[in-house]
Amino acid sequence: MITAERKPLSEIKEMIAPYRKILIAGCGSCVAECAAGGEKEVGLIASALRMDAKKEGRDLKIKEITLDRQCVYEFIDQLTDLIDVYDAVLSLGCGAGVQAVAEVFPQAIILPALNTTFIGETKEAGVWVENCRACGDCKLAYFAAVCPVTRCSKGLFNGPCGGSKDGKCEVDPDTPCAWQLIVERLDERGQLDHLKKVYPPADWSKQQGKGPRKIVREDQTT
Amino acid sequence: MGVERSKDMDQRTAGLNFAIFFCQQIDGKQDTNRRALEKELGSRIRFFPLPCSGRIEPLHLLRALESGADKVYIVTCAEGACRYREGNTRAKKRLTFAQGLIQEIGLELERLELIHLAPGTKTTIDELARGLIAREALIGPSPLAR
Repeated sequence: MITAERKPLSEIKEMIAPYRKILIAGCGSCVAECAAGGEKEVGLIASALRMDAKKEGRDLKIKEITLDRQCVYEFIDQLTDLIDVYDAVLSLGCGAGVQAVAEVFPQAIILPALNTTFIGETKEAGVWVENCRACGDCKLAYFAAVCPVTRCSKGLFNGPCGGSKDGKCEVDPDTPCAWQLIVERLDERGQLDHLKKVYPPADWSKQQGKGPRKIVREDQTT
Repeated sequence: MGVERSKDMDQRTAGLNFAIFFCQQIDGKQDTNRRALEKELGSRIRFFPLPCSGRIEPLHLLRALESGADKVYIVTCAEGACRYREGNTRAKKRLTFAQGLIQEIGLELERLELIHLAPGTKTTIDELARGLIAREALIGPSPLAR
């Protein structure tokens, strides 16, 4: 899941200031799960912006809509009849969603209401944690499905370091030591032999240095 | 909620509009008990009974303000006395979240207020509401009502 957080309303207000008719578009996928950009959050931002405009005596017309996914054309198409009616779209999608909508409607003003943060999981109600850096070279099979690149604060492939204390990380005592988790789970699985191997540095060329990445599946293309 | 302000209103209430969300566990006969007050104040008061105060969402609170309430209450049972264990704790967190949002647009956070009943309190919703309204003589009309 891609996680995100709402921008401060002051920043959103500044972005929408030149416009009088705003379409607020949420996304019912990842950002809804992390309570940043789903239908409820669209309602909250819309209500707050309407009240703010009324308080300041500004004319602001808002329409709310939430797409099932904001990064897939078939869902973005729902905006087709609305896009010309509004001066701008305030998107509560992730960065990919904002750009996908702008790609479909290049003449329209698409503004981001969220700061996209990380790929993560819902740890418990109201808590989301980062657990994948999208490095493009997954090694989870060797580390008992605990990513040392993401969850070890030092990104160590051959840990642990000397700073693990009581199962917590020295960088942040609230963070479980990823290497403690790896060793314990490998032990439970009878796979401690994985630790005897020395793992070479990650191949970051699969994530960085080649510009934006692209996946093409010929069997899925038209 | 109507925002029209009658000139002959009770002085205590200073012509303000109220929205009162409340846990219906606090008054088993809330449906009947609130009728007289609703009749008396008309559109100036709106009651929103909830099966548990934990059902409240920040959006409910914002929409109440947006619809013309000058003051919005969420009344919960006593701390530790929630029939569903932590409903009133959740209500408090959601109110705090909503307060943060209205502060960002320059509204006073006092326009949203949570009332935890004292442990063992026996009351009716109309008695409770009259008390809440009477103590609000100091808060002014919402800037949204202009």
